[in-house]
Amino acid sequence: MTDELRVSVDRRGTTGAILYTKGYINNVGGEEIANRAYELMDQGVRTLLLNLRETKIVNSIGISILIEIIEKMMDNGGKIGFCCLTPVIHKTFQIMGLANYAAMFTDEESAAKELAL
Amino acid sequence: MTATADRQMELTLPMVPDIEIAAARAAGNLARELGMASESIDEMAHALIEACINAREHSGSADRRIYVRIVGTSTADGSPRIDIWITDHGKGFDVTEARSRRQKLGAVHKRGWGLQIIEAHMDEVEISTTPEGGTTIHMVKIGKAAEDQAASMGES
Repeated sequence: MTDELRVSVDRRGTTGAILYTKGYINNVGGEEIANRAYELMDQGVRTLLLNLRETKIVNSIGISILIEIIEKMMDNGGKIGFCCLTPVIHKTFQIMGLANYAAMFTDEESAAKELAL
Repeated sequence: MTATADRQMELTLPMVPDIEIAAARAAGNLARELGMASESIDEMAHALIEACINAREHSGSADRRIYVRIVGTSTADGSPRIDIWITDHGKGFDVTEARSRRQKLGAVHKRGWGLQIIEAHMDEVEISTTPEGGTTIHMVKIGKAAEDQAASMGES
C-alpha cells in the first residue's frame, strides 16, 4: 500500500555523505534512515546531508526519529542539513523545530557548497 | 467506500500500520476532482495522516476502526473546500491538557506533535472527545484552486 522507504548513500570524502530518501518517512522509514546514518557516523562521517527530493510524505513519528539522528550527530560534533524539501515538509519541519538544529537548503548544490561536501 | 456525484466518501479503516495513506489518497483524489491546488492537497494529506495516526496509536478503541468521512464542496467565491471527519470509538483525550503539555515541553520534543501539525496545515479544526464516546476531529481545508496556484507561480 505504501511507498516503502528506500535509502541510498553518496560518500563525499572521509567525513561527509549525502543520504537520499525515496518514499514515506514513517516510523519504519525513519528507522531505516537512522540505521544508515548511524553506520555512517560509526565510519567517521560528521557532515551529513539528507536529500528528500523523492520523499513527498512524512509523519510526526518519522520526524521524531530524524530529530534523534540530529541529536546524535550533534553529540558527535557533527552537523546535518536537509535539502529539496516540499513546501509542506519544510513547514512541518519548522513546526517541530528541526530548523533550529539543522540547516535547510532548497537544492543539493547550495547545500553541498555550504556544508563543504 | 462510497462515492457520489456530490463528492462524498465514507471509509471504515482497520487500525493497521500505514492505513493513514489510504485515507490521504482518497481525500487527495477528491480534492483534485474539485480543482484544489497541489500544495493545499499536500497540507490536507499531512493533517489527515496525523489524525489517523493519533486514532491508531492513542485511542485505545475496542473495535480497532477509524471512520473517515470526506465531503468536497466549493466556497461562495469558488474555492475548493474539503471537510473531513476522523472518528474513533476510543477513550478520548483531554484537548486542553494536550495543548498545554506541548507548550510546557518546549520547542523541540520528539513526540506528541500531531495536533499541532493538524492545526497548522488546516484552516479549521474542531475536536469532540469524551471518555465514553471516543473522538471526532472535524477539519476543513479551503484550498487555492489549481489555476490560481499556477498563475501565482508564473508571477514569481
